Amino acid sequence: MTKRRMFLRMVTASLLRRRSRMLIALLSIGIGATILAGLVTIYVDVPRQMGAQFRSYGANMLLLPQNGETLGSERLAEALRMIPEEALVGAAPYRYVRLDMTTRQQSFTAAGTDFSQITKTSPYFSVEGAYPSEPRQVLVGSGIADKIGVRVGSSMELTYQPTGSAGSQTSAESRAPGAVLSGKAEGFGGGLVYVTATLDGQSKIASVSVDASTQTPEYGGRVQEDEAFLNQLVGQSLPVALGDGVDALTGATVTSAAVVEALNQATAADAAARPRTLNFTVTGILTTGGEEEGYLFLSLQDMENLTGSDQLDVAELSVSANVDQLETYANAITESGGGVQARLVKRVAKSEASVLEKLTALVFLVTLVVLLLTMICVSTTMMAVVSERRREIGLRKALGASDGSIRAEFLGEGLFLGLLGGVMGAILGFVFAQVVSVNVFGSSITFQPLLLPATVIVSMIIAAASCLLPIKRAVAIDPAIVLKGE
Amino acid sequence: MLMKAENISKRYLRKTGGANYFLAVKPLNLELSAGETVVLMGRSGSGKTTLLNMLCGLLSPTEGEVWFNDTSLYRLDDQALSCLRSERIAAVPQGRSAIDTLTVLENILLPAKLYGRSLPVSDARQWMERLDIAHLGDARPAELSGGELRRVAIVRALTQSPDFLFADEPTSDLDDENTRLVLSTLRDYAHERNRAVFIVTHESEAMAYADRSFRMDGGQLIPAADMKGAAPA
Ligand SMILES: Nc1ncnc2c1ncn2[C@@H]1O[C@H](COP(=O)(O)OP(=O)(O)OP(=O)(O)O)[C@@H](O)[C@H]1O
Ligand SMILES: [Mg+2]
Repeated sequence: MTKRRMFLRMVTASLLRRRSRMLIALLSIGIGATILAGLVTIYVDVPRQMGAQFRSYGANMLLLPQNGETLGSERLAEALRMIPEEALVGAAPYRYVRLDMTTRQQSFTAAGTDFSQITKTSPYFSVEGAYPSEPRQVLVGSGIADKIGVRVGSSMELTYQPTGSAGSQTSAESRAPGAVLSGKAEGFGGGLVYVTATLDGQSKIASVSVDASTQTPEYGGRVQEDEAFLNQLVGQSLPVALGDGVDALTGATVTSAAVVEALNQATAADAAARPRTLNFTVTGILTTGGEEEGYLFLSLQDMENLTGSDQLDVAELSVSANVDQLETYANAITESGGGVQARLVKRVAKSEASVLEKLTALVFLVTLVVLLLTMICVSTTMMAVVSERRREIGLRKALGASDGSIRAEFLGEGLFLGLLGGVMGAILGFVFAQVVSVNVFGSSITFQPLLLPATVIVSMIIAAASCLLPIKRAVAIDPAIVLKGE
Repeated sequence: MLMKAENISKRYLRKTGGANYFLAVKPLNLELSAGETVVLMGRSGSGKTTLLNMLCGLLSPTEGEVWFNDTSLYRLDDQALSCLRSERIAAVPQGRSAIDTLTVLENILLPAKLYGRSLPVSDARQWMERLDIAHLGDARPAELSGGELRRVAIVRALTQSPDFLFADEPTSDLDDENTRLVLSTLRDYAHERNRAVFIVTHESEAMAYADRSFRMDGGQLIPAADMKGAAPA
């Protein structure tokens, strides 16, 4: 029999004999280490998680037109190219206008936007029903829905009232008979050609008169008197095109083209100034807890159809970057001369920091409490072990075991438990953190290689510290008293 | 090789009863030298175990000194005292004294193991042979009879090969034949190897194996020569 074998037998035998107690001690260290490792993992990973999380709580950058500029889709695209593709989580463009719901005598703020981006920049939007996916569909804020009593599937007639228009109820398709259109266009040599047309009940040209006094009388100037040229315009519907029912006057091609252009321009200007009404189907009711509940949301295409313009008011961006990086991107965009101004949404970045701070305190506190509980549990268990082994310890002492060797034995047992519990805890803790992360943050975490040794060391320290009092008890056992008879 | 008890006494604190202190061993002097077997007898509760424990370094006396050669046992620090107890002094405690999780042989080798010394396996086997428990080496203490356990404890002490061997009731639980075997083995150990053996016993037969014998009476140590007058028949 070798000494080593005997020692191993002694350790394993004493551990096995008290396996229920050791299991409790091991379990408490393991659970303590699990929570420790789990919390630390989450804590280390949280800034990353929180970053994504907070960005998902709304846009952290706004793109606005610079003073006196307009924001169109090309300019927006150009500005977005200055943010690394992988950092750009989403970019939702917005155009805000007032739309009237004439049937209810109400008017609402409506936002034209890109619904595929909204889910990225405003994931907290909660929609009952669905986001619009086809033209003529509208998402209604719950505030409006409650007020006017629309539901998913209801239809809404929305009218865009251009500023300065007379508020007439005519639709885009029909005009009152006798309506007058007048426009002008550049003719030969840069001289302006003025055209005035009256329309009939079917919005066709009823009569037309041209002022081409700036044109050469022998050539272009003839168009204002040429009956054949003017008569062919009568009965045409607008817009008109040369070569399609309308032929240019020979020898006055440029001026003829100017007449057609002036007519078309007048039509467009008239259309733009005319209220337009479209019929929408409600696909969803939006709840956000914010002012968005008082808005209507429609697609940018519908918005353009209503207003006749594709300009944007603002784009909300969700960018995955820290505050410094965000500032760099914003400055680059603002200073690029693209007419776009980038602004950070500071509120989000700030609350991110303060929540992290609170979280740190919380993690610290919970860890402390868990470690304390672990220590109490292990200490109690070891205490029971010492009293169970009183006689054995006394006998060992009587046979020459020193206090030091008793200490070493219990400490060794404690450290062994700490090691085992620590390894167990590091692994389970990672699993725990993973589960929490997936369920709470919706993303997985990476294993911190340092976590294993750190957890094991902390567990061993905790286990050793828990053994201090039991060891003191064990050392204090008086062999003379313990051994006396039985 | 000499062990000398100088004016040692032991006073126990009793938590119940009127008197707070109880003088279990009254001040006494005692010398043990190499090569002799000393037997101590006396009534139960007379203080025999208390005295033995003080002599073998397990219980510090209330007053007085125990000298091991030129060192005072109870002035040593724990490390030195336990080393001495392990290498020079062996005790057979009263009652059961085996660790149940170890086999008999492992129990016997435990003292050497505690100090990381090489295991005296052949010595152990020899002593087991001598006390007729050679066949029990791999058994567990729980499987043994009281008498067999007693002999395991004695073999454990002998295997330590101590200068001073203290045996508290080594022959309790033993039949006459084994009593004689144990007593003669202990005496021979003292004589043949020039070591000291101190035996506490109720067995009057033990007197026959003693070089010197004492009687304990109410904490007082009385040499056997004076015993006839002191002890009632
Ligand atoms: N730890 C103690 N505290 C208080 N009193 C004690 C203690 N140990 C022993 N005593 C008392 O001291 C006296 C002597 O005890 P001791 O064990 O030395 O007797 P003993 O002679 O060995 O008896 P036995 O033959 O029954 O073993 C007894 O009366 C006992 O009650
Ligand atoms: Mg006794």
